[in-house]
Order: sequence, then C-alpha cells, then structure tokens
Amino acid sequence: MKQNRILSPSTIAAWAFALLWALPLLYALWAAFHPAAYATRFEVTAPLTLDNFKHAFVAAPFPRYFLNTVMLVTGIMLSQFVICTLAAFGLARWKFHGADVLFALILIQLMVTPDVLILENYRTLQHLDLIDTLTGVGIPYVASAFGIFLLRQAFKTIPKELDDAARMEGASTLQTIWRVYLPLAKPIYVAYGLVSVSYHWNNFLWPLIVTNSVETRPLTVGLQTFASVDQGIDWSVICAAALMTSAPLMIAFLVFQRAFIQSFVRAGIR
Amino acid sequence: MKVLARIATATAVALTLGVSAASATEITFYYPIAVGGPITKIVDGYAEAFHKKHPDITVKPVYTGSYQDSVVKAMTAAKAGNAPDVAVLLSTDMFTLIDNELVEPIDKLATSDADKAWLKAFYPAFMENSQAQGHTWGIPFQRSTIVQYWNKDAFKAAGLDPDKAPATWDEMVSFGKKLIKKDASGNVTQWGIEIPSSGFPYWLFQALTTQNGAILANQDGTKVAYNDPKVVEAAQFFADLSIKDGVMPKGIIDWGTTPKDFFEGKTAVMWTTTGNLTNVRKNAKFAFGVGPMPKKVRGGSPTGGGNLYIFKSKDKAKQAAALEFARFLTTPELAADWGIATGYIATRPDAWETPAMKKYAAEFPPALVARDQLKDAVAELSTHDNQRVTKALNDALQAVLTGAKPAKAALDQAQAEATRLLTSYQN
Repeated sequence: MKQNRILSPSTIAAWAFALLWALPLLYALWAAFHPAAYATRFEVTAPLTLDNFKHAFVAAPFPRYFLNTVMLVTGIMLSQFVICTLAAFGLARWKFHGADVLFALILIQLMVTPDVLILENYRTLQHLDLIDTLTGVGIPYVASAFGIFLLRQAFKTIPKELDDAARMEGASTLQTIWRVYLPLAKPIYVAYGLVSVSYHWNNFLWPLIVTNSVETRPLTVGLQTFASVDQGIDWSVICAAALMTSAPLMIAFLVFQRAFIQSFVRAGIR
Repeated sequence: MKVLARIATATAVALTLGVSAASATEITFYYPIAVGGPITKIVDGYAEAFHKKHPDITVKPVYTGSYQDSVVKAMTAAKAGNAPDVAVLLSTDMFTLIDNELVEPIDKLATSDADKAWLKAFYPAFMENSQAQGHTWGIPFQRSTIVQYWNKDAFKAAGLDPDKAPATWDEMVSFGKKLIKKDASGNVTQWGIEIPSSGFPYWLFQALTTQNGAILANQDGTKVAYNDPKVVEAAQFFADLSIKDGVMPKGIIDWGTTPKDFFEGKTAVMWTTTGNLTNVRKNAKFAFGVGPMPKKVRGGSPTGGGNLYIFKSKDKAKQAAALEFARFLTTPELAADWGIATGYIATRPDAWETPAMKKYAAEFPPALVARDQLKDAVAELSTHDNQRVTKALNDALQAVLTGAKPAKAALDQAQAEATRLLTSYQN
C-alpha cells in the first residue's frame, strides 16, 4: 500500500502525457457546453448551455449521417475480416508457386497512400456503377494489405500440430479456420478491428468525393458544414458537433477499454 | 442514390438513339461551403424555385466541402467522365480548369442578344478573374473583397476619432501604437491590427501590393512579379507591423480565429473578407466600423471568392439547362438575396437597385463599403498551375513574417520557382 503512494517519475510522466493528450478533448468539452463568448475565456462561473448542440444538430441531417457511418464501418470491418482471414490463411499455410512474390506485392500496397489512387478508384467505381453508394465508399478498403499482413503473421505462430489435429478429426479447411485459427487469433482481430473502425469513422476526402447525397454521406462530411472559412470559425458549435460525432466511438472505447488493452498486450506477447 | 447512374444510362440511351433528353433534364450542381449558416438549405431552396419555373429541368445540388475539396471532387469526377454540369469553384481555379479542358467557354453557349447582355451585366472587377484568352469562363457568384473592420469603442478609449479608420499605411502604424494595450506584466491585451496570414496569406498580402501600386500577375496568367521592388517593400511593411512596430501579433495569424479576436477585443482592427459582415454584425458586442482598405500610392483590394463554371458535356440539353440555371442564379433578385443571406457582394449593379437590397443597405450601410471599393479592386492572383505558383508566394510570405528570411531573398526565391513552373505556358 505504502509503495503505491509514492509517485515514481514514470507515473508522473505518464500523467503529464495523458493530460497533454486529453487537452484538445477537454477544450472541446469546455467550448461545447459554454456560450461562444466564453470559448477562449476560462471562468469557472461561466454559464452552461446546450445551445451549441442544438445549433449543430439542426445544421445537418446528423441521424442519417450516423446511420451511414455505422453501416459503413461495420460493413468494411466485416468484409475485411472475411477477405483478410482467407488471404492470410492461404499465405501462411499453403505452399504454392509465387507465394512470396504475391505476399511482397500485397505489402507494396501498404506503401501507396490511398489519396494518389482517388482518380483511378473513382473511374473503376464509375464502371461498376457504384458512385454515390455506401458500397462504393467502402470497397477500395476491403482488401486491406495491413489486415492480411497482420493475420498472416498471427496464423504463422499457431502450431501446425493444432491444424493437423483438427484435420485428423475430419474438419474441412474452412472449419479448421473457424475452430482453430480464429479463436487463437482473437486478440489480433480485436486490435485490427479497432484500427479499422477508427480509421473509417474519421475518413473524409474519399467519402466526400465519391458520394453526392445525404443517403450515402458519412458524419465527417456532415461536419464539414461548419468549416466556414470565409466567415471565421465558431469554435463552440464545431466542438459540440465534433463531440457529438465522436461520442459513440469514445463511449465504446471506455466500455471495452479493458478488453482492448488486454488484446493489445496479448498480441504483443505472442 | 442511383440517380447519377440513371442519368448516365438515360444520357447514353439518348445519345445512341439520337433522342433529345430535353423533356426531363437533370443537372448536378456542386457548391462549396465557405460561409456559416444554413447555406445548404438556401441553395436547396434556389434549386426548387428554379424547378418550379422550369419544370422540365431538375437541379441536384451537391455540397462539396471547402473550396479545395470542391475542386478536387469536381476534377476527379470530370476526369472519370462524370462531371457536374455546373459548379461553384474559386475564380482563381480558372486556368487550372481550362488547362485540363474541363470547362466550356460560357460565351460559346450564351449566344443570344439577351445572353450577351447578361455577360456584360456584372461588375468589371469581377470579370477580370472570369475571362482569359478572349473567352468568358466563369460567372461571378459568391464574390468578395477585403475590408477593414474597426472597434469604435477601442478607438474612443485610445483618444482616436471613432469614425475614422486608418486611411494610410502611416496611420496603420501610428493608430496601432495608440491602440496597443498592455497588462501589468507587459503582455499585450489589445493589438493595434491583425492581418491574417495562415492558409492563403497571398490574398491579404495582395491588398498591400495593390496599394503599393504593384500587379502580381498578368491577365494571361503566364507571368508573375513576385520580386518587383514594390512587392518587396509591401512584404517588408507587412513583417514590420509585428517585428519592428509591434502593433500586430508576431508570427502567423490564423484566418479562422481573427474575427473571434476582434469580438473579444484582442485586436482593435482586423482585415478580412466582406463575407464576414453578417458574422461581425451578429457577434460584435460593441460599435464597429467597416471601411475600405487604407492607401499607400492608391487604395484597393483583390477580389476573391467563387464563380459558376459550366463543365464540358456531350449532352447539349444538359449544357443548355446548366446555362439556364446559371442565368437564374445570377438574376438581380437572386444576386441580391444571396448577398443579403451571406454577406458576399451582389455581383451586378442592378442587383443593388432591387427593393430587397435597397432596404438592406438602408438598414445596414456598411454593406455598401465593399461594393464601393470595387472601383479600386484588382483581379485576385491567378495563373496557370495556380496551386503551386501561389504556394511559392505563400511560403515566401510566411518565411518573411516569421523572420526566417529577409523579404528580398524570400521573394527572389519565390519568383525563381514561379518562373520555372510557368515556363511551359509562355509561348
């Protein structure tokens, strides 16, 4: 007990960094709940208000944008899981001609930023008749090189004996993946899912370019309504809108915090 | 959701069969959001009003983010063969759009006598950024100039005449020195002036160069004069305001928060777009004035803002519909309405004669300042390969303002870079 009371330098440093990281969020909380006049004046007695949230909420069809974003991120994540699992399994367990070259090609994709491919991707989608659809927003990200890489490495560490044992029991390839590989790589899935969801929740430029209507646009595009550069920026409303749109993600993280951190730790030990 | 696909198919069918699709034309309209307020609702309202007047044409407005995002989206879509029919993009994007062969010269579409009169109806200062190579490429839509806003209460407190803004460069400095306020520990609590320098410092800087009698680029957009001695002098003055005279905060001043500083009394004078008028009117808790730019050898400001462009299309019916819509958006009544709703300058003289505008101007005379300044306005800096040529100047300015480089050296370097970029267009 006593030892816990003494703050070690690393604890102090951790708190300092945590505070630094939390500052933008703390500021957003302050600005969102106070009238605009107090956005940069910090007085304890400043009146509290919910007006900023009201303004933000009516400025754009946020409920629809929420729905779109949720459908988008879950759709992308599930498709990524399926495709990356199958690809990673093939690359990790099957010996075929050119496997290494194929894997190298997939890795190269990691080094190409998605932004340079905007025009080509748009053209492809145009041919597929997928412009202005949620599928169109998600499809370029489905075959994720990062996911394939991560899962391949994880599958490689799973003892071959477990695989063989499953086969002896008469399990097919898909059953083996489902009953042996998936459970053992669970921490990797959680970690990768987290990265995927937060990336696509925040993605802006591609969805903006490929969508045209309220029915397909995600939250980030809706948020852009507030960036009125010609008129100066109303921080209070922006902060309210930003809190509103990031809240589900933050709440989810707080709720599942323990699970997330444990899975990262386990993924690291392996 | 599949509307675009349907149009595409309909167009393809119409083209192959040689049938005119005029009976039910649908056009897409891209527009950026650069001012606050319920802009999307206003634009949707315009589209509906247009449809009521022209039942055979449906306009689908698509808001496309900032000006930067809008041009990326429009060009991506156009290059993939899915161009918008009409779009509001920066007037300075003109050369980029021409060089990529994406937009149609409007004078080729607007050929009737009424059309020709329409093209002549706008303020000449706005047309400078809309014409090149003997053609008209853009129709002025949401246009602005830079004006100065000053805090009358702060002027009174400093012993200055509250009804007079700084009228010369010398007064900018001398007023500024009187307006500076410091607290007990020597920190400045009120600055004399703020001229924003983040993002696109070249635009505000162009006001200074104009006042000093320099023109930054030629009409064809093939040459720039970044290291003209008058430009160097203007850059030096810009930097001196903070570094030598100490009337302006040091370093880069953020564009987006400058109005906020003004409302909170952190600065007594600010330079920003006339598009901010409605915002200032709503949020300033003190008496404020709006004035034209100060003078050095002359007054003046660059114009700014967005034009309507009509994109190339094989479908003549859609182009005709696009032209009709552009004409509709720029009628005197709508130009007035848009100006009142946003603070942009109504783009044609007869818009100021409409009853709605007359009433607005009588209630709020500062609305007239930007319009009256148009006679001194010059074209906003715009060249071929505009993004990179302008960036050279932006980088130089920020280096000068932060004291990283002397004005002459920085601008010489910017000039060399711009000349290199523009060589291929000079023939």
